[in-house]
Amino acid sequence: MTARITVDGAALTAQRGATLAAALIAAGRWSLRVHPLTGQPRGPLCGMGVCLECEVTVDGREGTRACLIHVVDGMRVRTGGGSGS
Amino acid sequence: MSGRPPDCDVAVIGGGPAGLTAALRLATAGLSVVIVDEQPELGGQYYRRPSPAMLARGVDHRPAGGRLIAAARAAGVDCRTGTSVWGVDDDGRTLLTCPVLGPATAGTLKGRYVVVATGAYERLVPFPGWDLPGVTTAGFAQHLAAADGVAVGQRVLLAGSGPFLLPVACSLLELGVSVVGIAEAGTPYRISARGARTAARFPARLAELAGYAARLARGRVPVWQDRVVARADADETGQRVGSVTLAATSEPGRPLVTLGVDTLCVGLGFRPQSELSRLLGCAVRPDPGSGEMVPFADAAGRSGQPDLYLAGEAAGIGGARRAMADGEVVAAAILAREGAAGSPGNPKALARRQARRQRFADALTTIYPADGELARGLAVRLPDEARVCRCEVVTAGQIRAAAAAVGSPADPGAVRALTRAGMGPCQGRECLATVAALCQAPDKAAADGRVAESHAITRMPVRPVPLAAVAALSVSQSPPSHGSGQVIS
Repeated sequence: MTARITVDGAALTAQRGATLAAALIAAGRWSLRVHPLTGQPRGPLCGMGVCLECEVTVDGREGTRACLIHVVDGMRVRTGGGSGS
Repeated sequence: MSGRPPDCDVAVIGGGPAGLTAALRLATAGLSVVIVDEQPELGGQYYRRPSPAMLARGVDHRPAGGRLIAAARAAGVDCRTGTSVWGVDDDGRTLLTCPVLGPATAGTLKGRYVVVATGAYERLVPFPGWDLPGVTTAGFAQHLAAADGVAVGQRVLLAGSGPFLLPVACSLLELGVSVVGIAEAGTPYRISARGARTAARFPARLAELAGYAARLARGRVPVWQDRVVARADADETGQRVGSVTLAATSEPGRPLVTLGVDTLCVGLGFRPQSELSRLLGCAVRPDPGSGEMVPFADAAGRSGQPDLYLAGEAAGIGGARRAMADGEVVAAAILAREGAAGSPGNPKALARRQARRQRFADALTTIYPADGELARGLAVRLPDEARVCRCEVVTAGQIRAAAAAVGSPADPGAVRALTRAGMGPCQGRECLATVAALCQAPDKAAADGRVAESHAITRMPVRPVPLAAVAALSVSQSPPSHGSGQVIS
């Protein structure tokens, strides 16, 4: 039961229903955003919605925590944003 | 807005063991109950339910959670997952909500009663390199393993303190991960006579811990005691953690050994998620276990604010079993006020069960170091270059300089304003206790840290919410009440 999603425009096959953060890590994607002050990469820390380090853009909505949502077919994910919230 | 009619009898924030148990009892007795939870599935962090698609693949580490959720739904509980509560309206009661995913719309929820069951999150102490990708909480590693069947890394070091590190290491072994070792800040496994006597009073839980220890021994996982993370450094790509340096707990500045890893999982116990309780006007008190300020609730979960109850680890750490006992107690208290027909349970029996489960949590503190004290001790020894506030990138040195500039003892609020520490998107959840510790002279930290932390002011939004969603809501401009001025000692 796989889902086809896109991450930064590239196709990725992931487990349907997996936590998005888990699917990205399983695909070797640890750097999910760039810190706006340091320019350095950041990745998931708490995995439960409190630290906001895993914010990505999902289907156009910025600031979506990848640890709080499940993968569905056709999901469009963009990483590398600076946290502006 | 204060005249807004309620949407339901009881609004429960958080669908973990405490919230689910309370909701089930209340709905069974005929009250209309809504649970809001920002996770995609109910169950909280303890049950951490996999998605239906993952369950269909046979992933289910704690089926009891599924049964509890099914019972709550069958009793008529309105379960609103994927919904953040990011604030409280100026009536001090109506919750402001927003979906985690999808259209940026805001909503409201008002219950005649509110049960805060927001649970806990892991306590971390900063160290140089803790903001590298590949440094996570131990809980995240456990969630990945349990709910998604994904290994957090291939070469993993666990560090921190407390019994929780053991089952996480076992979960990683089951996935074939090379667990480099467990660095425990205390010396719990050189067990004292007092610790042994205490542990012997809880044979079932002791057997559980012994089971983990046996599994780790079979997996040849070293457990180092009196060791903390001194620093983490990036691998050759600069994009992920590649090595971790350990030091003795009493001398975190003196490196002892450096280990190659691809992932570092840390956790120094847990602390309540208290922002919503504070926004709703709860007073805070020093937690006897950790010394940190936690929302106040009496044994029946009463907060001191009318019709506002706290259940489970939102009011203090005690484990999932005590949290469920709390849920029963809070439901009984609300049902008693409603004059509900049928017995909500024998109050004395409920209280006895609650107390026994809390005693187990307290017993752990005689074996492991008090995690809040430990964290404060590490915080005051941080090197100046350590980034304390990850969001605003503020170092320990900058915080110390600001603290010296504003006087002694330094007001953490003034230090925050000068440095922006704790004022980023995470609202200080990951760093404020450390900031408070750094505002004190090292020798006074233990005595004054709790007072300093009580000045931490909670501001909306306590969860990220798109501006468009806020704009769509006619929220009053007056600031909401909060409990930062009320301290019960």
